[in-house]
Amino acid sequence: MTLLHSLNAGAGYPARTSLRVVAVVSAATLALAACGSDDDDDDDDDQAAADDAGSVTLEYWGWVPNVEDAVDDWNEANPDIQVNFTRMTGDDGDKIPSAVDAGTGPDIAQMSQHQLPDFVINERVVDISDYVAGAEDLFTESSWSAVVFADAVYGVPQDSGPAAMMYRTDIFEEHDIDVPATWTEYIEAGRELQQADPDVYIGQFSPNEMGLWYQDMVQAGGSWYGIEDDAWTLSINDEASQRVAEKWQTLVDDGLVKTTQMWTPEYWADINNGNIATITYAAWFPALLKENAADLAGNWAVAPGPTFEGSDAAGDTGGAVTSVMAGAEHPEEAAEFITWLNSSEEGVNHLVTGGGVFPAAKIGLENEDLVQPDDYFGGQEILEVYKEAALKVPGGNQEGPGYQLVQNDILDGFADVANGDATFSSVLDDAQEGAVERMRDQGLDVK
Amino acid sequence: MSVATAATSTSARPRRRSRGGGQRSAPYVFLAPFIVLFVGFLIVPIGLAVWNSLHTVQRSGLGFGSSSETAFTGLSNYTDALTNPEFLDGLGRVLLFGAVQVPVMLALALVLALLFDSAAVKFTRFFQLSVFLPYAVPAVVAALLWGFLYQPQVSPIVDALGSVGIDPDFLAPGTVLWSIANVTIWSVTGVNMIIIFSALQTVPREIYEAARIDGAGEIRTALRIKMPMIAPAIILTALFSVIGTLQLFNEPMVMRSVTSNVSSEYTPNMMIFSTTTQGGNINLGSAMAILLGLVTFALSVAVSAASNRRGGKR
Repeated sequence: MTLLHSLNAGAGYPARTSLRVVAVVSAATLALAACGSDDDDDDDDDQAAADDAGSVTLEYWGWVPNVEDAVDDWNEANPDIQVNFTRMTGDDGDKIPSAVDAGTGPDIAQMSQHQLPDFVINERVVDISDYVAGAEDLFTESSWSAVVFADAVYGVPQDSGPAAMMYRTDIFEEHDIDVPATWTEYIEAGRELQQADPDVYIGQFSPNEMGLWYQDMVQAGGSWYGIEDDAWTLSINDEASQRVAEKWQTLVDDGLVKTTQMWTPEYWADINNGNIATITYAAWFPALLKENAADLAGNWAVAPGPTFEGSDAAGDTGGAVTSVMAGAEHPEEAAEFITWLNSSEEGVNHLVTGGGVFPAAKIGLENEDLVQPDDYFGGQEILEVYKEAALKVPGGNQEGPGYQLVQNDILDGFADVANGDATFSSVLDDAQEGAVERMRDQGLDVK
Repeated sequence: MSVATAATSTSARPRRRSRGGGQRSAPYVFLAPFIVLFVGFLIVPIGLAVWNSLHTVQRSGLGFGSSSETAFTGLSNYTDALTNPEFLDGLGRVLLFGAVQVPVMLALALVLALLFDSAAVKFTRFFQLSVFLPYAVPAVVAALLWGFLYQPQVSPIVDALGSVGIDPDFLAPGTVLWSIANVTIWSVTGVNMIIIFSALQTVPREIYEAARIDGAGEIRTALRIKMPMIAPAIILTALFSVIGTLQLFNEPMVMRSVTSNVSSEYTPNMMIFSTTTQGGNINLGSAMAILLGLVTFALSVAVSAASNRRGGKR
């Protein structure tokens, strides 16, 4: 089941189209919420038993591959603070809000940094400022800023998604085309590839994949949300995003990119058949590429992502954070564990080597042992390329409420673009309008 | 209410021994599990949904740290839902879907049931099981399976059609709705066939014999005798199918991972999901759910009214 597998395996970026579906209408959700209280009692009993033994037990939900190993190490070293790990697959994240509201949620959960603001506004995560004093210096500035809202800390950053370009060395050599370093060169290379072989495209247009757009938007210096004098600002269709729109419109209009639904068997067939020559995506993607296109080992290399004219900025899809959820009885111990997991040498080693994530902790970027040559990429030390990219990601990307519906609006619009019924620019305008309206309807101040 | 009647008939025996009020409560004791579940899982959630739909969460400023307020806002969530073009589009889409899928599926189920009931088919059990089997496949799995079969580069169907010069696109904006209809027809025809087939089994065989003596052939018997006799079963399956259609969720949701031509607000239930679970607006979502429930209720009433009129004429 490649389809199922690949959808579940995204290490750093869970906010993608759903596959495992929970058939929930609102009435059913309410009913479930109502009947969930029995479990709660059981939890309390467990808790009481644990307290008797002088130790606490923490429930932790996450999806990083092999993070169980890190949890085992922690449990062995900390008999007083035992962690129970539950693996999240598909869109399990969607049930966390209901679970937290019903009092049956985990103590600790992993989530995309894009989702954190909604959790903060709905008071489903705990302010852990008091327990993580001094942790700020352990993380890169951009990843730490993703967990701070109104001077309070609502989680510990785990990873980030700096972007670089994976490209097919054999295809570029065969047609004697230079590997592009800017988006202008990228478009040019795309034309040359199409001339050489109409079945080969420089890249993909995947209307279902937000990250491919988001990383470009960040690279262009954009930010969907902003805060000004205690009010939100929205700039989904600002100048930076229009620049991204222009690039994509050219690629699509001129037929230089293959329109393909990402993560489907169809998509991996496109990759394996050599229809797509480059994939510019985040640091967590290479692991998935290896898994789903094993036969292409040795034919790929990683180069810095193409840049916009007049800037050397790199893109970033955003990463994941680990937060302490509302209702957790031992927030201090929970904060202690997530700080260890995401910033200690031991924890970060597990995340990088076992989980394949790009760490948010500085220690992970400084540890040279983590940089290993990769046979799949012809022996290249690909982490070096991503580390370099991470340093060039523009700061100042602000997360805000309602991300998921903005994503829905944009991706629904991209489907229209793929069918020739809309332009990237018009999709952005519509998404902006819808987002402002929704936030004002909630009573939020929007400038 | 067989439980209730059973309870009263047994209570007649011990009346000799005691005429206490405790005996009179027996039916209620037996009914209690049903009532508790009915109230707990239907009445209370619906009541909560109604309450939610009449309120709106009001925040202020950036929304951080400030305590939000839940205010009574009357029918404003309902007007929001009814003026939302995507919600209305979704409703129209499932109605169109139902208008095509339900008749096609029922016709198929009826023909199959009549075939199995006639002497024309050998290995009846085997074929019945084959037709019924897809119903045992969960909707999500069925949609996944068909999702594979719809993708050009991995689908043997597209491959085979391509070799005879047909180049279908099962996932295009105009066709994907019918590709979903195909999945649901594949899934539920079997169970409807079984319902209709069991109804056919209850028709007294003498009637067929009489028809045959009167000179009616197999087809004539099917059209003039069998179908009118099993009309209530057909109406019942139609009713369930209409309700199922309006609730369409699993199949399009899964198909969405294969094609972007299924939007996040493709059906009313998908829109409710994105509004509540993804967007966190349980109030607006509740209003939509109640509106969808009302439409379903109205259609159910219409279908059963139509069936009553039919019955009256006969």
